[in-house]
Amino acid sequence: MGQSPYFKTHDLPQELKFVDLKLLYQSEGGFIWLGSREGLIRYDGSQYKVYQKPDTLGQNHVSAVFQDKNDLIWVGYRDGSIYQLDHRDVLQAWQPEEGLPVVPITGFAEDLEQRLWFSTYGEGLYYLDGEHVYNYDTDDGLLGNDIYCLVTDHRGWMWTGTDGGISICWLEQGEKKIKNITREHGLQDDIVRAILPDEKGNCWVGTYDHGISYLKTDNFEFEYPMSDWDMGQINDLEYFQGRELWIGTEGQGLWRWDFRDKKHYPVGQENFQSAKIYNLHKDIEGNLWVISNNGGLQSTNRQFEFVEKPVSNIQALLVDHDDQLWLGTPQGLFRQVKDSLSKSSFERVLSENVLCLFQDNYHNIWAGTFGSGILLLNQQLGKQRHITEKDGLTNASILSIDGNGDHIWCATLGGVTEFECRMNPLSTDALSVRNYNHESGLGTNFIYKIFLDSKNRTWFGTDGEGISMLDQGKITNFSEAGEIPIKSVYSITEDRRGHIWFSTARSGVFEFDGSKLINLAVKEGIRDLSITGLATDDKGQILIIHPSGIDILDPESHHLIYYDTDVGIDDFEPNLNAFYLDNAGNVWIGSQREIIRYTALEEKLEIHPRTRFTGISIDLEPINIESQNKFAHNKNSLAFDYVGLWFTDPETVKYRYKLEGFDHEWIVSRDNRAVYSNLPPGSYSFLLMSTENDAFDKEPLVSYSFSIQRPFWSQWWFVLLTLTGGASLVFYLVKTREKRLQREALLKKEKIESKYEALKSQINPHFLFNSFNTLIAIIEEEPSLAVEYVEKLSDFYRSILQYREKELISLDEELNLVNDYAFLLKKRYGDHLKLQVNIAEKAVYIAPLTLQILVENAVKHNVISKSRPLLIQICLSEKGYICVSNNLQKKLTPSHSTGFGLQSIVNRYGLLSDKKVFIEETAEQFTVGIPVIKNSLF
Amino acid sequence: MKIKNFLFVLFFALYLGSGYAQNRYATETGNIWFQSDAPLEVIEARSGAMRGIVDVDKNAFAFTVNIRSFEGFNSPLQKEHFNENYMESKRFSRAIFSGKIIEKVDLNKDGSYEVRAKGKLIIHGIEQERIIKGQLKVAGDEMQLETEFTVLLEEHNIEIPKIVFQKIAEEIRVKIKAKLVK
Repeated sequence: MGQSPYFKTHDLPQELKFVDLKLLYQSEGGFIWLGSREGLIRYDGSQYKVYQKPDTLGQNHVSAVFQDKNDLIWVGYRDGSIYQLDHRDVLQAWQPEEGLPVVPITGFAEDLEQRLWFSTYGEGLYYLDGEHVYNYDTDDGLLGNDIYCLVTDHRGWMWTGTDGGISICWLEQGEKKIKNITREHGLQDDIVRAILPDEKGNCWVGTYDHGISYLKTDNFEFEYPMSDWDMGQINDLEYFQGRELWIGTEGQGLWRWDFRDKKHYPVGQENFQSAKIYNLHKDIEGNLWVISNNGGLQSTNRQFEFVEKPVSNIQALLVDHDDQLWLGTPQGLFRQVKDSLSKSSFERVLSENVLCLFQDNYHNIWAGTFGSGILLLNQQLGKQRHITEKDGLTNASILSIDGNGDHIWCATLGGVTEFECRMNPLSTDALSVRNYNHESGLGTNFIYKIFLDSKNRTWFGTDGEGISMLDQGKITNFSEAGEIPIKSVYSITEDRRGHIWFSTARSGVFEFDGSKLINLAVKEGIRDLSITGLATDDKGQILIIHPSGIDILDPESHHLIYYDTDVGIDDFEPNLNAFYLDNAGNVWIGSQREIIRYTALEEKLEIHPRTRFTGISIDLEPINIESQNKFAHNKNSLAFDYVGLWFTDPETVKYRYKLEGFDHEWIVSRDNRAVYSNLPPGSYSFLLMSTENDAFDKEPLVSYSFSIQRPFWSQWWFVLLTLTGGASLVFYLVKTREKRLQREALLKKEKIESKYEALKSQINPHFLFNSFNTLIAIIEEEPSLAVEYVEKLSDFYRSILQYREKELISLDEELNLVNDYAFLLKKRYGDHLKLQVNIAEKAVYIAPLTLQILVENAVKHNVISKSRPLLIQICLSEKGYICVSNNLQKKLTPSHSTGFGLQSIVNRYGLLSDKKVFIEETAEQFTVGIPVIKNSLF
Repeated sequence: MKIKNFLFVLFFALYLGSGYAQNRYATETGNIWFQSDAPLEVIEARSGAMRGIVDVDKNAFAFTVNIRSFEGFNSPLQKEHFNENYMESKRFSRAIFSGKIIEKVDLNKDGSYEVRAKGKLIIHGIEQERIIKGQLKVAGDEMQLETEFTVLLEEHNIEIPKIVFQKIAEEIRVKIKAKLVK
């Protein structure tokens, strides 16, 4: 130990400076959610978005955040209220029938049946089953109603930390079950502040005053790894699999418990000395997040730690079998001396310029020097041996040493020397020597790096002549890969598949899969070709070390992650092959200024930024991404907001997007927004990727598909509708015109017939004969009356001639005509014929001669005598008919009738009016009703 | 369960009968309504004979109502069905809710309190733990209680024949209004 993580502080914007962060939660989508006094805050690495309750009166002090399996975010507040963040990104109050607690919500969890549980500080534990909320409190056996923490285990059981110990709650067939763990069971402290389940399903328990216990969940037995805890109250725990447990305290800073040496060490003392640690969280990129009263929100990438700078210009490193660190520098060889648990210093053991270090099976340290051969040191035996050219070494300048069992290989400026140890090489005659050089088949005698692979082959990195492989006594040289010359090879390593990887002076990295060479350079994402070292970590990933930082390469997918200033690697000037892979799987990397300790975490880490849409809007109106994807033709200006979550180094994230159906090329940008205005109708897909290392091809793609509808006037259905509509209209017009013409023709025919009939009837000789007889009877006795009679007769005939051309005449005109006609008749029948006209309303129209024909019919078909006078009445009925009625006294011998008169009226009115002419015949009365026509459109 | 009910009633009677303690409010004429909003028929009934006590020192309470005291059904036949087919009121004559108030309120002081009562609800002989939200108004020797909650028939093994299923909702709304006195 002695190394410490580099903490990056996440500064909140000015307006959020005093919001008092206490809580951190990372949702499945990757966002960091912060609980503050002023509301919920979403953090994406650079932007902070504050969510407050929509009702402004409520207090916004967030005390718990949780994402359920349906991706719904639940927010618990200090006042006991609970809100949900819905899919439209708005907080909605949750209001169960049972009401809400009035004490702070301290945690949420979900069981295997997807029931939501929540703990409170004061009212115990609640769960939501179906529609109802139920409670566990001390009456149910809970050890305390003040719950500090709530976690769930692999069975979906709820573990609560209370003032009386741990209460484990679960439901069995709807029945509440509880198991309590108290001091009686071995708990060291009543007050349980933090519970952390590990990957085995067991739990780490942090207490108020007695440190940490480890609880096996299958038999509920305790282990007490830490007997000497005196740092007081524990607030939170976090752990890295197989490595260490992190402990946040209330006022005693941040600590970690090392699983290997079983000791606890303070962490980041410059940041956290006597700090209150409120929250610890491990994210999926390997970052550990800390919220404290001292520095607010901070994070560190756990893969990289730093040893306080002991000496400068480190050329070689080694961690010996006793976990002591050795450093080779131009000023000599230094050895780490542990002063205390957390402090150490270095002592100089040699003054030679040490270029490389190696430890053999006899615990001897081999220090290869520049110009002074090899120095063998044995700390335990207190012995030392100097190996020089006299012992067979090809050259006194040693650049690299590697070994396998008793075979130790040394690369020098004069070729390669292989030593075979027959016994401890400290003895003078223990070594047999074999040398390889240009004459043996090596490209050059100047060898930078020697590497023994898993197939017992030895690889040599040469100066300017490529890489050479020694396999069963045969040397093969590789000096070019296709077109690319390999030249100087600085560093060599092997991945888990047995592929050999080597770095060159200027051509990047090569992979040798046993038959061919694959080159990775700038185009493949390697950002700096001045590579000084290649190392394979515990997970089989390849570290590419260069002055710009460290790139971690996945040998199968060739995906790269860059690490530099954001993880603390700053002003990095690594020396050639100045790194060491220790037995614990850590890679120690030296530079002119500092030592980096890289740890390959056992956790599976996310290697891609998580690309998420944060909103899509149309004309500045946000839309629901889940449900909306069809838009009207004028809703065609879209803005896409998105983020690529990469908390390790948010600034490096770049985006590549393309609107399929519009863009032909990908657009690369650093902006979090893409805007498209006035898109033509069509189907589109917005494709988006983000990368932290310029290599987009291996990044996952997110997309949003939508369509802009055509305007309705160019939709196929509209066109079809218009065509059919137009066709039907034309058809209709043609049809109605045909009908109208037919009707007109009919009407014309009717009219001609009626005119003819009327004329025929009026010049009917019988009528004339009767009229002249009447005239003869009065011409001598009453000449003046005869004159009037002739006048009426001529009036009558003139009216007939005048009206016969017309479709309609006014009722007034018709009545005048009828009166003239009646005068003529009365002269013949005297008082035996009576005509009563009872019509006030005269502004109506009638077909000409209608009434005259009806009166004539009445006279024609009925007996008219003194004993049986005929009364003809003309009146206006309420239903809109002009009724002509007479008392029925049919002639016994009916007069000759064509029946044309009445039929003609019926036919004509069938064309003139919707209403029909009615004919009513009773025993006493004969009535004909003529529909009233209010206007004279015809 | 039946014995338990009986014991409870006995205890309850004794509790009410002992008029010593001063910090108890009680009623014998509390009003309780229930309503079933089924698609085909709304069934409503009311009883004015709910008995109850609230112990303000212990923040504990107990309420009970005789099932047969419900009146106001749509027809006498409906009442008979309610008592005999569904509630089986001969076997399970009472509905009981007893327990504690979750909030730490001091009901010795006058005022209006929104409280949640956690307790055991016994209907149709089936005990269910429930949380019921209500309002208590304390003014001197008087305490007004008002609450509304739902009862799931399934939770209390009240079986409805398939044919009348549409006449009775699965969820019954219950409303209580009572004046308790010291």
